[in-house]
Amino acid sequence: MDNVCEEAVFSNLFRTHSKTVYNYIYYKFGNQEKAYDAVQEAFVKLWENCAKVSPDKAKSYVYTVANNLYLNVIKAEKVRLKYAGRQKNTSYESPEFLMEEKEYKEKLDRALDSLPENQRTTFLLNRIDGKKYAEIAEMEGVSVKAIEKRMHLALKALRAQIDGI
Amino acid sequence: MQENYLAKWLNNELSEEELKEFKSSEEYASYQRILAASDQLEAPEFDLDMAWKDFHERSTTDDTKVIRMRPFQKMLRIAAAVSVLFVISYFYFNSLNETISTQYAQRETVILPDASEVILNAGSEISYSKKKWDQQRNIVLEGEAFFKVAKGKKFTVATAAGTVTVLGTQFNVEHRDGFFEVSCYEGLVSVSYNEVETQLPAGSSIVIFNGTIVEDEVAKNQSPSWVNDESSFKSIPFKFVLNELERQYDIEVSTQGIDTVQLFTGTFSNTNLNLALESISAPYQIKVKLKGNQVLFYAEETP
Repeated sequence: MDNVCEEAVFSNLFRTHSKTVYNYIYYKFGNQEKAYDAVQEAFVKLWENCAKVSPDKAKSYVYTVANNLYLNVIKAEKVRLKYAGRQKNTSYESPEFLMEEKEYKEKLDRALDSLPENQRTTFLLNRIDGKKYAEIAEMEGVSVKAIEKRMHLALKALRAQIDGI
Repeated sequence: MQENYLAKWLNNELSEEELKEFKSSEEYASYQRILAASDQLEAPEFDLDMAWKDFHERSTTDDTKVIRMRPFQKMLRIAAAVSVLFVISYFYFNSLNETISTQYAQRETVILPDASEVILNAGSEISYSKKKWDQQRNIVLEGEAFFKVAKGKKFTVATAAGTVTVLGTQFNVEHRDGFFEVSCYEGLVSVSYNEVETQLPAGSSIVIFNGTIVEDEVAKNQSPSWVNDESSFKSIPFKFVLNELERQYDIEVSTQGIDTVQLFTGTFSNTNLNLALESISAPYQIKVKLKGNQVLFYAEETP
């Protein structure tokens, strides 16, 4: 069986997963610097132990290392996300609509921020990174059902916060 | 509506009826809007190439840097090795060697396990096995010592030049670089030198240096003069006399314009240096200078 020590295999793993590892840690703690360090640390560990980790385990290995790095160590900061303004004739929108849209995004930001860390991470991995529930379950080391629960609760909480219920 | 239906809805896993029911609910529009807005979200920038480059730097420096050691465990191992060594050497030296040595200007009396007595002259060393003493009375000597041997089994004094064997007697053995002397004061001593054995009755002595053997007489039933704080010489090269002087007083002796091979007969005190210097210099009409622990013997003509 081939292992991760091969340069090509490792490089491929890095290119496919480093961005997600970065986002994953960022969604949890809202700190870009820590997220970047976590990527480095996780892949350095993987490289050091490349002979012991098979390629199919490599993915969950890096998430586990990245996650353990800050376990209980740092306090979550504010998660700041950008909105990719889909360029659809925004100039034709009325000023009232634009204003309302801006307000809504701010509400969503606040709502996301007030979510529990595990719900926010699950929600954003799914919405931004397009990760399937099964993949998120593997990253977090929980069952798919637990991820579905988090997703469900995240949506409910977001709505409650935004609609002011 | 099934459990976690919002999650199922996102995954298109709701049945048609469920979907219909959900769409007709008043919160449906809210959820739709949340999804629409959140789908415009972007994570912060991540520069993959830079991260890859950084990774290479870190992983190469870490390769040389990260060596996990357990210093405590290492210490334990060393400590264990050292203590084993200690125990072994303790038993080894205990079973093999008892060593007694004297520095310059020092004399020591040693009582052996069978009550035999050894008086060590200055700058000498003896060693023997305490444990095996009952089976064999063996002593290794370097330098000079006077032996009063209790009656019993064979008593052997081994030097690099030759060995001396007795049953019970009093005798003196001296061996220092090229000079080997045995004097018997009581009983009978057997000296073997170059595989030639010489019987030495009481009142005789044998001096061997530079390969020549000279037999001589000593006073019976006495001790060598050094035991009584005097060093005596009879036709001994001058340099051996000076060496003995150095040993007795722990001083450094040098000469200037003096033939150190000429033979010396005489005695010097081992307790009074000035007297000793005079007894050596006067008969030869040479001068002597003492400064600190340096002594210079020089011929009269030279300054």
